[in-house]
Amino acid sequence: MLAAFSALPFLWQGFLVTLQVAALVVALSLVAGLALGAVMLYGPVWARWPVRLFTDAIRVIPLLVLIFFIYYGSSPLGMPLSPFWAGTLALALFKTGHIVEITRGAVGSIHPGQMDAARAIGLAFPGRMIWVILPQALRRFLPPWLNAVVDSVKGSALVSLLGVVELMQSIQQVIGRTYEPLPLYMLGALIYFAVNFALSQTSRALERRFAYIRE
Amino acid sequence: MAPPLVRIKGVEKSFGSTPVLRGVDLDVAAGEVVVLIGASGSGKTTLLRCINALETYDAGSIQVDGVEIGYDGQAPGRRARGDAALSKLRADIGMVFQQFNLFPHLNARDNVALGLRKTRGMAKAAARDLAERWLNRVGLAEKFDSLPIQLSGGQQQRVGIARAVAMEPKLLLLDEITSALDPELVGEVLTVVRDLAEEGMTMVVVTHEMSFARDVGDRVIFMEAGRIAVEGPPDEVLSHPTHDRLRQFLARIELRRPEETS
Repeated sequence: MLAAFSALPFLWQGFLVTLQVAALVVALSLVAGLALGAVMLYGPVWARWPVRLFTDAIRVIPLLVLIFFIYYGSSPLGMPLSPFWAGTLALALFKTGHIVEITRGAVGSIHPGQMDAARAIGLAFPGRMIWVILPQALRRFLPPWLNAVVDSVKGSALVSLLGVVELMQSIQQVIGRTYEPLPLYMLGALIYFAVNFALSQTSRALERRFAYIRE
Repeated sequence: MAPPLVRIKGVEKSFGSTPVLRGVDLDVAAGEVVVLIGASGSGKTTLLRCINALETYDAGSIQVDGVEIGYDGQAPGRRARGDAALSKLRADIGMVFQQFNLFPHLNARDNVALGLRKTRGMAKAAARDLAERWLNRVGLAEKFDSLPIQLSGGQQQRVGIARAVAMEPKLLLLDEITSALDPELVGEVLTVVRDLAEEGMTMVVVTHEMSFARDVGDRVIFMEAGRIAVEGPPDEVLSHPTHDRLRQFLARIELRRPEETS
């Protein structure tokens, strides 16, 4: 038990790396996911196919395979990646697939009558998006997106398998020295829980706040 | 005589391989209220949506105030108009929808003011004033700040009407605007439309309310299988129908919904 406390500064370092991985994954996947989602929704047909192929592939490949593939594949492909970046990139790619789907769902689930009504008052495409579609889509996007953020934090534990010393890996290293797995895993679970519970509560609060959107 | 405000000539349209409009000719004079009736699938809603360029038409011509709606140039070889050009034309044609289609994230005032600000370029305060004036007109003085979901169907539809007419359109298109309403709410919406008709608003109205058609319509058009089958003054078309399919249609309507006495 005492070991757990004396290990706190070390775990804190690991926790910071976890946050770093998660933040990068969230940011990268948000940008890429929104862009590819927009292609899926409004892009030319020839551009939609590769995006669909990508999201379908991401869905059926285990995340762990993707992580190892990118790490071990990056060297032969001529741009070797550090474990940190290989893991982060793999997670970001994986999340991007989800964000594309969330984006498509958020916009696609808006009743077509909204677009009609926006057209009928003379709004051109940019105006229709900015004033009518996106404000509604944002409300549908945020809750599932926050769940994806939670998923990113949890998923970041997997980069420990490449030897990145994030929270999970630092816990294991402490256990390796102290042989006290139970209190340390409990502590780790508690930290993940605290972060993710806060996030999912935010998601729930947002859902409640946007409840006035029909259907 | 002044040229008609709306001039529709030989309009044809198919959804895939299914023809919905098979050569429609129709002129609407300024200030006239034309009522389109017909069974579902007869093409009346599609025709209405073509006038506002919410649907494209494959052949023929639709002109509003002398401007071809869907195309630039002459057939053959005419080019479909782009989004910006269409938006400009649509700004002068109001439309009210069966499902209201209010913007759920905006309150009643902002629903009306959005087009005024973003399409007409009015300043915030002026748009707000005008929106409130129109909401007053349709009897919603207490509801400026209400979100659509906080309003009854009849109230929502009146916001929908205010949103359309606040733009001061040359032409107002009403697409079955009472079909989604509970019977006791129909009257309040039709009263607003009746007032607009009396003020000389040009309207093309798709409706199943025959008493309303008779009451407000200057002309009733019965559509069948993508064509205009019968056309004439309401009394003649509705009270003394000679066309077989029209008679069947009217009989079905009467059975389904007894005439309102509004």
